[in-house]
Amino acid sequence: MPATDVFSLDVLRDYLLIGAALFALGMLGFLSRRNLIVMFLSAEMMLQGTALSLVAFGRYHGNWTGQVFTIMILTVAACEASIALALIVILYNRRSSLDVTLWQDIREEGVAATPTSVVAEEAEPIEAIPGPESYPNLTPAGVEPAHPVQPWIVTRD
Amino acid sequence: MDMWKEILPSWSAIGEMLIPALVVGLGAIGTYLMLPHRHGVARPRVLFGAGAVAAGLGLLGFVAFWSPPGPVLPTVFLYIFGVTSVIGAVLTITSRDPVASALWFASVVLSTSGLFLLADAPFLAAGTIIVYAGAVVVTFLFVIMLAQMEGKADYDRAARSPAMATVISFLVLWCLVYSVATVRTGPPGDESPMGRLAHEDALHRSYNLETFLGDSDEPVIHQALTPTAQISEPPPPPDPSAPVDRPSGRAEKPNVAGLGASLYSDHLVTAGIAGALLFVALIGCVAITNPRRPIRPGHDPAQVAAVGSIRP
Repeated sequence: MPATDVFSLDVLRDYLLIGAALFALGMLGFLSRRNLIVMFLSAEMMLQGTALSLVAFGRYHGNWTGQVFTIMILTVAACEASIALALIVILYNRRSSLDVTLWQDIREEGVAATPTSVVAEEAEPIEAIPGPESYPNLTPAGVEPAHPVQPWIVTRD
Repeated sequence: MDMWKEILPSWSAIGEMLIPALVVGLGAIGTYLMLPHRHGVARPRVLFGAGAVAAGLGLLGFVAFWSPPGPVLPTVFLYIFGVTSVIGAVLTITSRDPVASALWFASVVLSTSGLFLLADAPFLAAGTIIVYAGAVVVTFLFVIMLAQMEGKADYDRAARSPAMATVISFLVLWCLVYSVATVRTGPPGDESPMGRLAHEDALHRSYNLETFLGDSDEPVIHQALTPTAQISEPPPPPDPSAPVDRPSGRAEKPNVAGLGASLYSDHLVTAGIAGALLFVALIGCVAITNPRRPIRPGHDPAQVAAVGSIRP
């Protein structure tokens, strides 16, 4: 009879439950959010849940395979993150927006297009913070010099 | 009547299915209310609070499925890290602000590496913190600073078909929770399916198998139980009375050294493939971020080469 291990089946089950929760929540975020960055964070969260399960299985069975596989996952996650960031920078330079709905031209054939006005219709209203405006009201002093007025934000074409 | 008794599940089996369904359903309702979306005239903050209460109740029920690992300190830290990671995951996907999402994701990563530490994987804990919290999150923050100019954007406040996505994801979670949480170790001699499962060969660990099978003289079994790093040693003496020094895998070396030995001997091809993957990703990133503009009809190729880029 081998000595009882601290890492019993009950502890393995705890790890598997936490990993399942991380995986499902990451899947929910990837399916339902529109922001490209949040979508990639959700995908990384799914990888975290999988890595947790693998490490727990490796610890339970007493070999290194789970940890080696998790190292592989770390490598793939690093590659994925670098390529995703490069893609996000490229896509943002083209459309000046992180909305994934703007890229629905590459959707599957036979899927109906989502009109872009849907996003504004479904957006939750911004709640105004109650209370007086806190910026001080300064009296302009002196004479304003003649200068060309430049907008603060230059939108790209 | 007997036929129905065989087909229909017993009351305890129904309870085992319904209790996870209740817990997961609470979490689903709460998460659905917390997702950014327009719900009629209801105020977003009130909805978020209600959803947080429901999701918190679901999380309490979820924690009830866990079982403490015995000693006090591992129990406390397991519960702290587990609860923090799940809360951070919910807030990552429900935050309106991508910067807040990235920071909550960092908390998920930190608590996950705490769980790695509890599972005797210190190298992976350090590696996860360095790779994710050190590089990925900082780079994500950099991109967010680059991209966030308009403040609260529409697409951050509108989830894409949140009801259907919530139903699908939490259905997956219910399946996983049901199939994982019902695996119980029964007392020996228990002939119910769950009790038998605990004694099934599939759940035997490799070092348990060694105590069961290691005495056999089959060289195939001995090779299967030995890490390939140690197979190249001379075969055990044929004399059965001589003591055979069988390596036991774990506890043979300290943690990181054992992981390195396994990675660079048993999984050498894996390490090579990982290196090749990183190299290809590096080339891909450089190729993606500096695209050459296509030469269109009407543009002079020489002029394109001189200027570098021509705006259409």
